[in-house]
Amino acid sequence: MKNNIKLLVLLFSFGFFMSCDDELNDLQPFVEGNPETFFNSVSAFQNGVDGAYRQLWNYYSSTGSGLQGIPDILSDNVIIAQTGRRSNQDYFNYRYVAGTGGAIDLYWSEAYEAVNVANLVIAQIDNLGDGDDKDNILGQALAIRAWAHFDLVRVYGKIPTQSADANASLGVVYIKVEDGDTEDPFAEPVRETVASNYAEIIGDLERASQLIGADNGQGKLNTDGVYALLSRVYLYNGEYQKVIDAADEVSVPLATAEELEGLYTDANEAGIVVKLAINTSSESGGNNVGVLYSQSNSTSTISEYVFDFDFINSIDEDDLRKDVISFVGLNQDNQYNAISKFLGETGQVNGRVDVKVMRAAEVLLNKAEAQFELGQDALSTLNELRDLRYVAYDGGETGQDLEDAIQFERRVELSFEGHRFFDLKRRGEAVMRSTMGDIIDGSGTPPDFPTIAADNFRFQLPIPIAEINANQNMVQNPGY
Amino acid sequence: MKQKLTWMLTPLLVLFMTFSFAQEKTVTGVVTDQSGLPLPGVSVVVVGTTNGTQTDFDGNYAINISSGEKLRFSYLGQKTVTMSVGASNTINVQLEEDAEALEEVVVVGYGSRSKELSTSAIATVSAEKIEAFVPSTSIDNILQGQAAGVQVTAANGRPGNTAFVQIRGVGSINAQTTPLYVIDGVPIPIDTERDFNPISNLNPSDIETFSILKDAATVSKYGSRGANGVILITTKKGKAGDARIKFSSSYGFGEMIPNNFDIMNTTQKLELERQYAALGVGAAGSLPGANATPEEIARLTSLDTDWQEALLKNSVIQSNNLSVSGGDEKLTYYMSLGYDKNTGIIKNIDGFERMSARLNTNYQAKDWLNIGANVSVSRSTTDLPRDRNNVQNPFRAMYDYNPYDPLFRTNDDGSIVTDDQGNNVYNPTRTGFPIALALQTEQEDTRNLLLIGNISAGMTFSEKFSNNFSVGLISNRYNRTTRSIAGGVLQGFVGDANFPGTQTDNLNIDFEYNVNNVFTYADTFNGVHNLSASFLLEYNENIATDMFASGRGFPSPSIPYLDVAAEATTVGSTESRRILFSQGLFVDYDYDGRYIVSGSIRRDGSSRFGPDNKYGYFYSGSAAWNIANESFMENSIFNTLKLRASYGTSGNQNIGDFQYLNLLDFANTYNGQTTALPVGVGNPQIQWESQAIFDVGVEFGLFNNRVNGVVDYFKKNSNELLLDRPISYTVGDENNSIFSNIGEIQNSGVEVSLSGDVIRTQNFKWTLGGNITFIDNEVIELVDGEDIITGTFGDNILRVGEEINSYYAVEYAGVNPANGEPLYYDLDGNVTNQFSDSFQQLQEGKSPIADFEGGFYTAFSYKGFGLRGDFVYKAGNYIINNQLQSGVAIGNIDSNQRTDAFNYWKQPGDTDVLPSPLFQSTADQTSTRFLEKGDYLRLRTMTLDYNMPRDMIDGMGLNSLRFFVAGQNLFTITDFSGDPEVGLGSAESGEPGDVGFVPGSFNLFSYPNTRSYTFGVEVGF
Repeated sequence: MKNNIKLLVLLFSFGFFMSCDDELNDLQPFVEGNPETFFNSVSAFQNGVDGAYRQLWNYYSSTGSGLQGIPDILSDNVIIAQTGRRSNQDYFNYRYVAGTGGAIDLYWSEAYEAVNVANLVIAQIDNLGDGDDKDNILGQALAIRAWAHFDLVRVYGKIPTQSADANASLGVVYIKVEDGDTEDPFAEPVRETVASNYAEIIGDLERASQLIGADNGQGKLNTDGVYALLSRVYLYNGEYQKVIDAADEVSVPLATAEELEGLYTDANEAGIVVKLAINTSSESGGNNVGVLYSQSNSTSTISEYVFDFDFINSIDEDDLRKDVISFVGLNQDNQYNAISKFLGETGQVNGRVDVKVMRAAEVLLNKAEAQFELGQDALSTLNELRDLRYVAYDGGETGQDLEDAIQFERRVELSFEGHRFFDLKRRGEAVMRSTMGDIIDGSGTPPDFPTIAADNFRFQLPIPIAEINANQNMVQNPGY
Repeated sequence: MKQKLTWMLTPLLVLFMTFSFAQEKTVTGVVTDQSGLPLPGVSVVVVGTTNGTQTDFDGNYAINISSGEKLRFSYLGQKTVTMSVGASNTINVQLEEDAEALEEVVVVGYGSRSKELSTSAIATVSAEKIEAFVPSTSIDNILQGQAAGVQVTAANGRPGNTAFVQIRGVGSINAQTTPLYVIDGVPIPIDTERDFNPISNLNPSDIETFSILKDAATVSKYGSRGANGVILITTKKGKAGDARIKFSSSYGFGEMIPNNFDIMNTTQKLELERQYAALGVGAAGSLPGANATPEEIARLTSLDTDWQEALLKNSVIQSNNLSVSGGDEKLTYYMSLGYDKNTGIIKNIDGFERMSARLNTNYQAKDWLNIGANVSVSRSTTDLPRDRNNVQNPFRAMYDYNPYDPLFRTNDDGSIVTDDQGNNVYNPTRTGFPIALALQTEQEDTRNLLLIGNISAGMTFSEKFSNNFSVGLISNRYNRTTRSIAGGVLQGFVGDANFPGTQTDNLNIDFEYNVNNVFTYADTFNGVHNLSASFLLEYNENIATDMFASGRGFPSPSIPYLDVAAEATTVGSTESRRILFSQGLFVDYDYDGRYIVSGSIRRDGSSRFGPDNKYGYFYSGSAAWNIANESFMENSIFNTLKLRASYGTSGNQNIGDFQYLNLLDFANTYNGQTTALPVGVGNPQIQWESQAIFDVGVEFGLFNNRVNGVVDYFKKNSNELLLDRPISYTVGDENNSIFSNIGEIQNSGVEVSLSGDVIRTQNFKWTLGGNITFIDNEVIELVDGEDIITGTFGDNILRVGEEINSYYAVEYAGVNPANGEPLYYDLDGNVTNQFSDSFQQLQEGKSPIADFEGGFYTAFSYKGFGLRGDFVYKAGNYIINNQLQSGVAIGNIDSNQRTDAFNYWKQPGDTDVLPSPLFQSTADQTSTRFLEKGDYLRLRTMTLDYNMPRDMIDGMGLNSLRFFVAGQNLFTITDFSGDPEVGLGSAESGEPGDVGFVPGSFNLFSYPNTRSYTFGVEVGF
């Protein structure tokens, strides 16, 4: 009897382990999905496309390094405020190297992640039945892929119109799933030329323009958005008639001066063609895009960057934008020409707002610039904007004055929205900062490097050191 | 019938006799050992009763007994003596050593073995012996310097934080390197990636011994989890006999270990600003020192603030423990209650608090069935400061804030500015972030509730067959609340004015259960051939469920619950599981206790690996020769002399789940909508990291075991290391890497531990002991031989043939004496005035890993007095001193600086100086200029104690009474400019589980280590 009990106990002890192998083999992930089977419905594909937008948003809105602001910090629009935290001073002072943290690593990494998601969607698009939904998903994915590559090549490579050697110079790697570029995760691809990159960007965007839907809701691309992007890419590529044609396809009206304030606080959508949006309620922990310029709190204004002295003084008193984009910031008893774009939604100073990627005003200015280059009537186009922005203006420019007027209007209208550095770069112009200081009256500390010549290597940011280390075939930009 | 009656009457008779005839008297005496030295702790029991006592520190005892009764004296390792009580009131006893009983037992994993028959390198640390001398709230910190081959570095000085423990060097590069902890047979899950480490929630007072398994002979038995070594923790058990009650209490305070450098006061800082401004340093131009009038300088000087004083406090350290243990022949018990508190050194932060309870029981249910059940519950709370390298870190602030910036804003007349409510207004300072206020408004605290239980059933079927079945459970509930209070500092920056205040609550439940069964056959042939074989089945499953919720818009800071939030913002929940299923066979054979061989094989299946590599085999073989047991050694000076050798394999599977799959993640949203994003590129080929250890050692005891020692040589090869193989960013992988079995590293070294009684007389004893571990390590193989840049900031490198995690830095060439310009070496070895990251090169022989380290102690005792000092030391490692860099950076002129900053180049010919401030952009760069040697010797603990003699406390009804005073980190010898004991550099920049994290590679304002003084009392009755 006693021995039987012992045997039973022993059997029980061993019996426990009977089905353990099955438990082990059947374990599956709990909160993740399988990329090979997940994409089987329109909504699943839209999740993928939204993922791609998210990747774009990551680098446009990054609190420390957003592409919404870094190009202004690299330009003559701003000066570093000595009483701020001096974030991004390596960028402002042109001291960045391949190992510098922040924007250099971020854009390269996040933009290719956006490309990767877009390619994942494109690769499996035939899981959807033909029709508008499929076209719309594919159109968005193609446009995002082009957009991310465009950002990469304009940051790390030259811009075709920048200099004579630009088209043949080193661009980036254009990753297309159709060409088998995504098959080998250990691939060490080589840089293509700028010309080749632009050809593929334009190819993807033109294809997208035929596929994408007319309205995909806030924060997503649509027909207007793709044409707007095209107008910019054509401009960078020097294809001026195409700029005009693409711009004409964009139907979004300009924001009026009265609407501007609400535009920057996300109270309205006036004149927005492409935006990367944040839901400040459910994403209240998301990036604060405005923090690049201002780390203000409710009790004090702590500007990181303020208006360049010459820039603020070049803005006409009759300019209706002046009070919308600037205010007097007070910090540690110093007054500054502070930036009021992107301070936050109405009543906020947390800097958490949507990223304004393309506005109707830019599309118009792209068109005006192209018209000027082609000798067409750029003045009327420019005046469409100026009529809305000034109490009164002289106007009537021709020749060089008109070209300057277009560029000046562009600088003011699109200030702090991530354009100035690229506009100088693509036009082959030098950065010429004011030699005055950061304080409101021009006193204070002037910039360390007021001037960067047009042919300076720093117009092309270095390829991040980690990429150079991981990819034997990656060639660093000259100068680094 | 008659017999039965006698039975029943006996107790009555006894009672009767007791009452009527007993000539009760008090017998006293001294118990000594073979050499005549007093033996404390000898059990003295009246035979046939539960009446008993123990000898005190001086071997004295006193007991009430009637003449005619017998006294039994017993003590571990001594022959038991029984004496009849006669007329004399004094009975002195000399105990003889019992060679057989002396057999010390070591816990070897899935059982225990007599120390003599063990073939393995095992270090045993008896916690009971050291806990009184090395007070700490965390058990892993206690191990520092106590055992050869065990490298312990405190993560940082935060109360309740754990330590980095490594056994025999770095066994892995990317998988976790924490050893496997097993408490009473229950493996403790540690997941550094999720910041989950229940070690800090164990009460050190409950621990009897640590058994540290270091070589293959024992770690191979743990197969896939043994590669980092195994620490077996055995908790205290009751002993048959009267209940023993022990109460101990200590109280003390601590402070930051004082710096070995100075920072500037107002006068100095203003002067430096003036000098910089005069030189034309742009950033200095707008600072007060640039052109302040004498009146302004006087005003600022009057505001001089010591920010360390303003932000830090003395910590209060408290510890109380109560234990009751005892039992009878069938049932024994040990129960305890513990309370620990350490407030930490930051003002307005509460620090660490822990309550714990434990019950250990053992019951001989049947003659063939023994049941053990251990249960412990503990709860700890921690109030956390931000450990990140920015303005939110008080330990950075105290160096950064200018001394002329006072704690509160002041008016020109020096009075403090108050707000409308009359409260003092905190000074936002140059940084714009009033840290003293933020510490109050930006709160983070965690609560852990840890339950550990195990039940075991030991069954003896016959003399040859036995079986042990055990189930262990460990469950931890982790709650975290992070708040940013309305009106607080961060709210002003990132809060939403319409929804004042934010809060996030996390709830993580970790549950792991472990079921194992060991079936054993043991037999002896011809009286000299001893054979045993055990078959193991083990199933282990870990289930982790996490939840969080956050909300915003709180009516009052004093209601920290999401219920009152105006709006819920985000929620989330996840689950993950990990399963291990194993079979093992362990065989031991010895010939007459002289020649011993052991072998083991284990097969593990893990859910962490893909179908191709789900199972792994791990084996070991070992042998030992007890030379001292040979007849020719009979009259030698050796009591113990053993040679042993072992070789075997083990594995490491401490990586994330499902790395073998390509996965989509839905954790992020875009504009409030779900996104599907690839997690990363999976690698279906990944398999265990495997490890092969060769060990040869000698153990010896001399002169009546007065001198004991162990010397081991080991060589440990870690293969198939799972590394993040960096891939081109163009692939679009989230981490830009693929986890792959790439590399091989090797650690080899010699460990020596020695202890001896230098003086051993009746009243005075002087013991010395210590250990040292020399470790050489080398990277043997990497994928395609390509270097891997690692480290939180990319300052370390893995290169074949070089030390693991060697520094990768630009070589500093000093200051040009002609113009003060900093110079560097380019890759061709030429000196240049340029700085470029591309000049980074491997710094040969310089890595964060020490060449040798260890600890030693010296203890004196004289009568009841004891004095013990425990030292720890380390040498040959290097640390990037980022705090030094920050303290003298020219670009940081707007922050306070170290006084060293004055020593910059001023005129041609100046040498041994810092670069001229005119060369900020090249001078402020990270280079070997800030790579310093981390050698140090530190007096970890110094304890003075006094045991009251028995005759003085008898009248109080006490058994023992001890007073002690202990000091920690009393002095340090080092050339490092700062505290050389560096674990975490900056937790939020890099901590275990983060890509490239290398412990001890840099310092960056993490929680500083503290110096403390505690006073305590221990009472036994």
